[in-house]
Amino acid sequence: MSGGVDSSVADVDDARRVAQMLGIDHHVFNYTEEFERHVVAPFIEAYAAGRSPNPCIECNRHIKFDLLFERAARLGFDAVATGHHARVMARDGVHFLIRGADDQKDQSYVLGYLAENQLATLLLPIGAMNKSDVRRHAERLGLRTWDKPDSQDVCFIEASKGREVFLRQRIDLTPAVIVDAVSGEEIGATLGAELMTVGQRRGVLPARDGERRFVSKVDLHAGRVEVGRLEDILINEIALDASSLSFSHAELVDGSAVLAQWSAHGVAQRATLRHGAQWRLELDVPARPVAAGQSVVFYRLSEPTIVEGAAIVAVS
Amino acid sequence: MSQYYFDHAASAPRRDEVADAMAPWQRGVVGNPSGSHRAARDARRAVEEARDEVAAFVGAKPGGVIFTGGGTESCDLAIAGVTSHHRRTHDTSEILISRVEHHAVSDAAEKMARDHDDVSVGYIDVDADGVVDLDSLMSRLSDDTAIVSVMAANNETGVRQPLDGVSALSKSIIPGGVITHTDAIAAASWVNLATVTATTDMISICAHKIGGPVNSGALVLRGDVTLEAVIPGGGQERGRRGGTVDVAAAVGLAAAVRLTMNELADVNDRVLDLQEKLVAAVRLIPGCQVSGLGALRVSGTVHVTFDDLASDELLFLLDQEGVCASAAASCSSGAASPSHVLAAMGVSHERARGSLRLSMGAETTEGEVDAVIAILSGVVYRLRAEA
Repeated sequence: MSGGVDSSVADVDDARRVAQMLGIDHHVFNYTEEFERHVVAPFIEAYAAGRSPNPCIECNRHIKFDLLFERAARLGFDAVATGHHARVMARDGVHFLIRGADDQKDQSYVLGYLAENQLATLLLPIGAMNKSDVRRHAERLGLRTWDKPDSQDVCFIEASKGREVFLRQRIDLTPAVIVDAVSGEEIGATLGAELMTVGQRRGVLPARDGERRFVSKVDLHAGRVEVGRLEDILINEIALDASSLSFSHAELVDGSAVLAQWSAHGVAQRATLRHGAQWRLELDVPARPVAAGQSVVFYRLSEPTIVEGAAIVAVS
Repeated sequence: MSQYYFDHAASAPRRDEVADAMAPWQRGVVGNPSGSHRAARDARRAVEEARDEVAAFVGAKPGGVIFTGGGTESCDLAIAGVTSHHRRTHDTSEILISRVEHHAVSDAAEKMARDHDDVSVGYIDVDADGVVDLDSLMSRLSDDTAIVSVMAANNETGVRQPLDGVSALSKSIIPGGVITHTDAIAAASWVNLATVTATTDMISICAHKIGGPVNSGALVLRGDVTLEAVIPGGGQERGRRGGTVDVAAAVGLAAAVRLTMNELADVNDRVLDLQEKLVAAVRLIPGCQVSGLGALRVSGTVHVTFDDLASDELLFLLDQEGVCASAAASCSSGAASPSHVLAAMGVSHERARGSLRLSMGAETTEGEVDAVIAILSGVVYRLRAEA
């Protein structure tokens, strides 16, 4: 799977050659339109609406584990294998998604929306290995990708241009003033408020008091980005979009204690899931704000490698 | 498992006679045809004999034959070569091409326009069968037109074009006339080029679509056409295509041309029957529409579309059953992609996504056609059952 910039043709070439060397038939399916519809367009819409989406999760949900699974079944395949660092464990006939063995590379977070029936036909052959073992194995087999750099960025955005150029070509970014919530002073300006993510520190200058500031609020309508001291912006709960909730097995009841992770390489935090008027997550320990549009993946408290479900952070 | 090769339009099977003719020129001493010694003279003789045969195939004079590295290069040389020459004496130059040209032509034209502010590309519309609209050509011809390029037959649908009409307009509307080119690559196996292209100034052909080697083709000039070399090199081919002439490639093209010419009438008759049978059978599959049914088509190609199926899936399952076929349009990764040809014909996007080309050749048998009909019906039924 690859997102359509020039480098993706080179990725297809790599995949083809690796498949040839392993003796696997290589077929290329064109999902350009579906990718545009389910991943790229929502990515742009989300930014335009002031949210910070995770396109990799959307791609996994709507392209790999939706369209590709359906097609695989239609074409008579028994299973789908991907190269994610995560594992599927069967216990008493029930399939669980668990974290990959390499905790530096674990990708269970981006697979958090998979349902049990999908896990049953999913193979994750490298989930039990460390990335360095995978590379050693590939080198031993003479695969030309053995030392290919890890993919880091959003695959449909050219690395040389970046997110800002990509978005600027497609939507009008909102100029905004940056206001220090502590002093009420304007401390700067941005040409694209959409590019500022709640909780981020990068790109925000320290205030006059010399302390670090973090983005605490992005208001596109007012053209205003607020920054504050860490202790002032910490949050105790995260609002969840009920329509996005997905549970791997059973629905988690009100009051369920979970470990929650809200970024690809973040650390899971203890939290309690609440229904009430709105679904929300009460955090045991206050945390930096989480941008609307990001995903939260729930892990089992008693067995912290097991994924229980996922949801998208709502606008609070 | 049996293999049913129904992708001749992508590349035709190499003929033994071609390999035999090329063999002496593929090992040991092969003189450079530009040299002056015995080995060079031997090589030059082989090249010139090949040139005579290619000229006869197209009905042109040997001096008009330029050997190239294949069909794409031939088309590029025609478009870029003539337009570059035109620019020397004109403030602005327009390249007129049909909307259904192969990328060999359209990409060459669009690159010229991209590289030069004084060059533009004009497009000639086609009707629902993919046949060029001569009114559209007439309205677009102007004093700036440098070249008109309309293919002899479409590579995706097999639909043939009215080249005589194209030439008549191009020569009569503008005083002095406009130079015409035809990409005859998809037509070469199926029509007598000497008659079909008799009024066209430049003809591109390609060896591997007619049983010859890849990376071998020719641009044939009929009459008085001046063009500038794209590859000037060492002035070979009368300064129109530099680089040492590949003796084996030229000999291989000539052998393929000879076989095609000798067998044309017989093969055409036989494959036309197969085409009729295949068309009649696929029309019985619900939702299957044959492209260009109202137009004259080459005998070897049957192009169909389905509005509820994806080419990707059809091709995968056909491949599993041993049928080599094509969606006829693909992107650089090799995946099927929506076709500009079908778009120009007004075919809906959904239908274009479900396109399939079955293309036959000299060695295709009725038994193979029967087998493919059965397999295709089964695959379509299975995909619909799973949907």
